[in-house]
Amino acid sequence: MNPGAALTLYVMSAATVLALVLAVVPLPATWRRLPEWVGFGGIVATLAIAVAQWGERQVGFSGELQIDRFSLLLTWIILPAALAVILFSWGEPAAAGRRPEFVGLVLAAATGMMLTVMSGDLITLFIGIELLSVSLYILCAIEVARERSLESGLKYLITGSIGTAILIYGFALLYGVAGTTSLSGITERLATVDGLASQPLLVAAIVLIVVALGFKASAVPFHMWTPDVYQGAPTPVTAFMGTGTKVAAMGAFLLVFTGATHQVSGDWRALIGALAVATMVVGNVGALAQQNVKRMLAWSSVAQAGYLLIGVAVGTMAGAAALTYYLFAYVAMTLAAFAIVILREREVEAGDTLVAFTGFGRARPWAGVVMTLALLSLAGFPPLAGFVGKFLLFGSAVDAGMSWLAIVGALASVVSVVYYLRVVIVMWSPRPEGTRPERRLRVPLSVASVAVAGAVAVVALAIWAQPLLDLCTDAARALMIP
Amino acid sequence: MPWVTILILIPLVTSLVLALVPARERRMGRGIALAGSLLALAASIVVLALFDRDLAVLQQVDHLDWIPTVGVSWDVGVDGISIWLVLLTTVIFTLGTVAACQRLPQQRGTAFLSLIMLAEAGLLGLFTAGDLILFYVFWEFMLIPFALLIWNWGGSDRRSAGLIFVAYTMVGSLLMLVAIVATGIIAMDHTGQLSFLMRDLTGVPYGEATATLLLAGFLLAFAIKIPLWPFHGWLPRVYSQAPIVVTILLAAVMSKAGVYGLLRVGVPLFPEGVGNLIIPVAILALVGIIYGSLLAWRAPTMRLLVGYSSVAHLGFIVLGIIVIDRMAAQGAVLQMVNHGIVAAAAFVVVMIIARGTGTEDIDRLGGLAKGAPRLAVAFLFVTMAALALPGSNAFVGEFFILGGVFDQYAWMAVIAMLGVIYAAVYMLRMYQTTMNGPPRGVQDQGRAAEMTGRDAIILVPLILMMVWIALWPGSLVTPTRASTDLAVAPAQIALERPVDQIGVLPDRAAAVPAAAVGSRAPERQP
Repeated sequence: MNPGAALTLYVMSAATVLALVLAVVPLPATWRRLPEWVGFGGIVATLAIAVAQWGERQVGFSGELQIDRFSLLLTWIILPAALAVILFSWGEPAAAGRRPEFVGLVLAAATGMMLTVMSGDLITLFIGIELLSVSLYILCAIEVARERSLESGLKYLITGSIGTAILIYGFALLYGVAGTTSLSGITERLATVDGLASQPLLVAAIVLIVVALGFKASAVPFHMWTPDVYQGAPTPVTAFMGTGTKVAAMGAFLLVFTGATHQVSGDWRALIGALAVATMVVGNVGALAQQNVKRMLAWSSVAQAGYLLIGVAVGTMAGAAALTYYLFAYVAMTLAAFAIVILREREVEAGDTLVAFTGFGRARPWAGVVMTLALLSLAGFPPLAGFVGKFLLFGSAVDAGMSWLAIVGALASVVSVVYYLRVVIVMWSPRPEGTRPERRLRVPLSVASVAVAGAVAVVALAIWAQPLLDLCTDAARALMIP
Repeated sequence: MPWVTILILIPLVTSLVLALVPARERRMGRGIALAGSLLALAASIVVLALFDRDLAVLQQVDHLDWIPTVGVSWDVGVDGISIWLVLLTTVIFTLGTVAACQRLPQQRGTAFLSLIMLAEAGLLGLFTAGDLILFYVFWEFMLIPFALLIWNWGGSDRRSAGLIFVAYTMVGSLLMLVAIVATGIIAMDHTGQLSFLMRDLTGVPYGEATATLLLAGFLLAFAIKIPLWPFHGWLPRVYSQAPIVVTILLAAVMSKAGVYGLLRVGVPLFPEGVGNLIIPVAILALVGIIYGSLLAWRAPTMRLLVGYSSVAHLGFIVLGIIVIDRMAAQGAVLQMVNHGIVAAAAFVVVMIIARGTGTEDIDRLGGLAKGAPRLAVAFLFVTMAALALPGSNAFVGEFFILGGVFDQYAWMAVIAMLGVIYAAVYMLRMYQTTMNGPPRGVQDQGRAAEMTGRDAIILVPLILMMVWIALWPGSLVTPTRASTDLAVAPAQIALERPVDQIGVLPDRAAAVPAAAVGSRAPERQP
């Protein structure tokens, strides 16, 4: 037991509490930015600790928390995503009266995500997922005056609760098989006791956990909530759901499957592979018809979950490393895309529709370039980070003898080109004759910095792919070797 | 000096600089674009000067690890197959930049030039890549600038043309990516290391079935890009909707990407698979020759006519590669260059006529020779080259190809001959209808369509190159010989061709790459 191991969680929790306290303390007008600064400072401090902690595994609370290279690397993705969300909502007019709650809930959700990926036990894993889910239910509905926001929160609550119920059921069955809730204990038990593989109880547990985590990761056929919830939620929250939640869900997938139950991978490889195929196909085809960019990005996040699941389905260290790399790339390109959507939304009415993007690239070339890079990377165009990630994922699939996953992934990517490039085309085409000039707002520095940082990362992660891949391989090793 | 890397970086940097130039600084934009394209031309001439024609393998290699864990690296160099395509790229892009600068689009001209430079960087990278992943990166990389050029500056139907172009290409290329990944991983079982370097992957025994499958994966991408019949569906719309300068670049340079890939990647890497695919691919190529010629014959506009004739000409090149014959392969490389020059010249003529008369419809034009005699002379020259009249540059290339094809499969040569006859029919139709007869659809006897001095800057160098190749084809063919021999040798051995047909013996072919790996300065083989 090492009390310092969970320092990141302590700092995040303290920042959360502080932000929430600010909600009930009347603040003088000059201090109205204080909640954001608390969020900003808390996240930066936590990130600094998480970077300093990089090294051998530290165990917290007698094994319930595993602070190792795997969990720390995923924390390095979660925290910048949370920071981006704080920056997105910096001084945003919507939900102005609830700023402290907003920041506090974002911090709480981020803590939940970190707890999820750091967990060494089914119970901690469950608590982490619950903490992030409950915080996000409220965040979706935080614009209480807007009907769509409320609808989004309610829909997310209902589907999310079903997912949670299934998850706890699956965990209970897994406990029934292994006799322990500790992830390393489960690994040990599966390794030492013969005849556990393909046992009905274990298969039932696996199926239930796959379904439940499928809900969280919005994998098909558990994705129905995604477009509505993403569209209705405030866009910064949508960006957080699209990035942070995805990282946590994929982290949970890796912990439970590639990590804890890799001895019985024969029981789940085909199942998760089928899930990946369905998710890639339905996600990409669903995105084709979308006329709303936020909704399109929702479907795209479903499709991307499909690519990510390839890294789980192969069940190898290379797959886990590829998935981790792709998470970095995915978060960078998704945040950059959302930053541009947020800019557009503030400038014009119904700014998240495809039509509203007409000529946006011509009016603001830098924003056009950022969006183009982000979307090309999402579509997997070389030499951007999204391409390198897909290459690593497809490579791990071929290497593991699951070439069919790579072929479906490649074909699905062809479909994705159509809807990603449609936004690019629209953005760079001239505005129709006779439309009146629209108002131009000063671009907020906070949003612009996230957009530019995301676009730079999309290029930089591709060029320096090897150093990052080394880190990802370290993480995958930490995941698979208890 | 890593000249090949510099060669790729020059247009890339030029493109980025042009992107930062404000749209109203058109003069500055022109100057930068011209300087960039000329610098790239100069760099390619340096590469040519350093080129060692006796060396078969990739030379002047610049190697830099990118993602060593998965065997991906920045690895560029030139060999006898790529050297002329590099030169073709820099020459045609220089002339294309000149043409673009003369008539810069009113809307955001600097962005137009920037994208042209980006496309040049992509094509140069493609023609020099020594690593399969890098090959794929550049294969996709050049797609975006071309698609954006069509979308932003194309004709009335540009949106769907651009989308069709991208969709067609992506279907093939993503399956090629899967084939590349599979190649690397299957080869790992034989070589013990994960590498995507083409020189590491040559000579890997995949077994016939696997090699056929892998080659087929590559072939689809190549067939779409070439385009091989029946994958040519994107061509008419794209060629007719793109701005004419872009059409020149597409037809002259980009259309070589597919055939280059077939000869440089497909045939040497998967020799065991070639045997199963000779007849199917040759039949598609033959159908393409006939079908493309017939379409060109009845094409309504000059642009479509030249476009369809490209399908036929590229069918010849594919045939030259796939029959696996030394002479035919040399002819194929020569014909890639020839077609690049002739297609560029033909489209420049179309551009001049369309500008002067406002139409590209063949049936609405006539008798231009009276008002535009200089253009008529130049056009006649191009026509003669396009129909491969003996004494023209294309004649040499087609002779090599048909000679080689006849040696292996006489019936194919007989059918392919029809294409030569058809070429005379459609090219002369275009020339006669537009140039001879009573003036039609033009004022002032077509004086507006006369070639000006500015047009001559573009057209005359192309005609001079045609004359050069026609008079001295050996200067082009000799440097390619070592590399084309090496490219087809493994397939010849797999096909159990007579030993006297094989240019490089297997032990030598195996020994050469090992000696040259990683060597920056090429050493002459004993």
